[in-house]
Amino acid sequence: MTAPLPLAAGAPVIPDFGRGSSCVRDNGAFCWGWVGDHWGDTLRPALLQHLALTGIAVGIGFVLAFLLALAAHRRGRLTTPVVLVTGLLYTIPSLALFQLLVPFTGLSRTTAEVALVSYTLLILFRNTLAGLAGVPEEVRDAARGMGLTQRQVLWSVELPLALPAIVAGLRIATVTVISLATVAVFVVNEGLGAPIYAGLQQTFKTELIAAGALCVALALAADGLLVLLQRALTPWTRVARSR
Amino acid sequence: MNDFLDAFRFIGDDVGLLWSLTLDHLALSGAAVGIALVLAIPLGVTLGHLHRGSFAAINVSNVGRALPSLALISIGVAVLGIGFVNVMVALVVLAFPLMLTNAYVAVDGVDADAVEAARGMGMKPREVLWKVELPLALPLIFAGIRTAVVYVIATATLAAVAGAHSLGDIIVDQATYRLPGVLGAAICVAVLALLAELLFAGLQRAVTPRALRSEERSAPLSVLGDLDSERTAST
Amino acid sequence: MKQGTLRTILALVVALALTTGLAACGGGNGGGSTTAGTQAATTQPGKGKPPVTLGTKNFTEQFVLGQLYKQALEAQGYTVALKQNIGSTEIADKALRSGQIDLYPEYVGIFNTAVAGDTKAYPNVQTAFTAGQAYARRHGYTLLPLTPFTDVDALAVKPDYARAHNLSSVADLAAIRGLKLGAPPEFRQRQTGLVGLARVYGIRGVDFAPLTIGLQYQALDNGKIDTADVFTTDGQLQSGRYVVLTDPKNVFGFQNVTPIVSTKVLRAEGPAFARTLDAVSRKLTTRAMQQMNAAVAIDKQNPADVARKYLQANGLT
Repeated sequence: MTAPLPLAAGAPVIPDFGRGSSCVRDNGAFCWGWVGDHWGDTLRPALLQHLALTGIAVGIGFVLAFLLALAAHRRGRLTTPVVLVTGLLYTIPSLALFQLLVPFTGLSRTTAEVALVSYTLLILFRNTLAGLAGVPEEVRDAARGMGLTQRQVLWSVELPLALPAIVAGLRIATVTVISLATVAVFVVNEGLGAPIYAGLQQTFKTELIAAGALCVALALAADGLLVLLQRALTPWTRVARSR
Repeated sequence: MNDFLDAFRFIGDDVGLLWSLTLDHLALSGAAVGIALVLAIPLGVTLGHLHRGSFAAINVSNVGRALPSLALISIGVAVLGIGFVNVMVALVVLAFPLMLTNAYVAVDGVDADAVEAARGMGMKPREVLWKVELPLALPLIFAGIRTAVVYVIATATLAAVAGAHSLGDIIVDQATYRLPGVLGAAICVAVLALLAELLFAGLQRAVTPRALRSEERSAPLSVLGDLDSERTAST
Repeated sequence: MKQGTLRTILALVVALALTTGLAACGGGNGGGSTTAGTQAATTQPGKGKPPVTLGTKNFTEQFVLGQLYKQALEAQGYTVALKQNIGSTEIADKALRSGQIDLYPEYVGIFNTAVAGDTKAYPNVQTAFTAGQAYARRHGYTLLPLTPFTDVDALAVKPDYARAHNLSSVADLAAIRGLKLGAPPEFRQRQTGLVGLARVYGIRGVDFAPLTIGLQYQALDNGKIDTADVFTTDGQLQSGRYVVLTDPKNVFGFQNVTPIVSTKVLRAEGPAFARTLDAVSRKLTTRAMQQMNAAVAIDKQNPADVARKYLQANGLT
């Protein structure tokens, strides 16, 4: 047990691992061949992990911010403390926040998600609340006048009118999280930050450029999709366009 | 928890190192903000004054916000190599859209009645810009600068992976400084960002004409700030 | 928009958020891809055993070793979560001590000097291992048997630089003033680094350039540094473009790999666990490791693929 193990009878078999193209072996600036060969084993899993990280963070952040906004809409006094706390979290640089959480939640997805969720809270809270507050008082009065309860006013009048602001907040939050989730690599080796960080540790930069470009594309696509979602949910805003 | 106590001890023991890296951090951030300012504000103000180029001016910030800072710095390293200048260029690219959009929206959105009145009084376009539009637009322009400053300070933390010096040097080098060191530097960076935010929030308030300070919004909501000054999270 | 539709959409969003939230909590630590071997094994000693978290440090050989051990264990039915690229030795050790990982591939010499703080010079790898094992056992860990291959730090220079300064061993570097040396930041404090070089060879006044592991060859090529800290099984050394200086006084120590495992976990996983890891270790010769490292570093292959091919070729999956 204390000596190096003897080799198995005969030297081990060393298979052919596949020779890289000349672009790859010479550390060329960008090798499309590599991207094609390694889409399935490196880039796509990272992309899917990134989507998961983002989706969970925005989902949880939205639920929390929504509940907080509803509460603050009822009780105005809650607004300032919530804005202060979420604003404080928002200002802390992500690399710092990730590391500050590590002693508590470890090198895990939980740490990444807690930090990412905290970055969504200010935007989602602020936009939802401002959207609700932006509903003209006359509309509310009219609804109440028609006999709707406060709850019905909220769900069938205020929230639909607040939708543009809410979705605008979702847009900003989603794109922000997609960007920050790359920094999560310093805590958990997942998401598009992983190939980017791996790329920083090599001379060969194709992996880094490909993952970086994917990240930008993802953010733009998400932003575009949410714009379409907003248009679909609020057909009436399309008619009244001043400029 | 022990690590946190050790973190404060680290801050106490290594004040010299932390101070020197803070200065590096501020130098990098300041240079980037300065350059972006000089490029973005005049352009945004001009476009807003002429009411031209709204599509580009507004959407450039959407694209800018979508640029993941780590990815941008990394691609910068791949293309330009490591060092102060290269990271600064990346930071300028990140700060520019924010300031441009805010400057444009600020000047473009100045109350049309005020501009009409000024023209009616016989002011030339340039006078209108300097005497009416700019003073009214200053708060929002400053909001853009403030957002950009905090954003750049936060992103400069990542400069460590690209060969430029900042407080991030300690945060990414746990091998040398151990977890308490990393936590200590993280606390310093957070405090730095918060101080910058408070400073510029104060400056923004100072340039806001008293008449505009409370506006039509109800008191609690004014804490939310202007929805148009779309903020970008600190990286 | 009808009240009902809006309600439904919002309810769905809330439900989706809550479900993903629960999934996140349930998922806990991130796991790697599950590429279990497809060979039908009639005995699956790992089935039913608690899941294990394997960590790797921040360079190519570690990525390969991590995949080798992970896939071999999974072929035996164990559930393995891989935490790749955690950081340097100091960080990996901290992760092990705090329970965030259960095992990682360690180098026996580095374990003694950097983790156990033991600067004694051992005459051979067996005595180094015994000393390391004693320390590990005292702290609740076990060092598993060593691999045949050894991967030592070394200082490499370009051939013309070696000719110009008449260099063949590390001792010759002591004569050079203001030597520009590139190495990962932890090299500065290590016995198997600047500290040992100063103490044993008298190499002082070094212009130290901290570098990420993986970028040292480029820095050497560009002339940014005179000499780089490299690993003897690096794929890049196969090209013959670099001269590796010898280490006659063995400052860099003996560095065979030994998987370090928490003793509690070792007991919980049963005897077949260590046997599976040993079966892999046994097959790792210096040449095999060099080829695998080269496949990843030069041909840019994926460590998981390289490990899979190697295990299959040697009947370990």
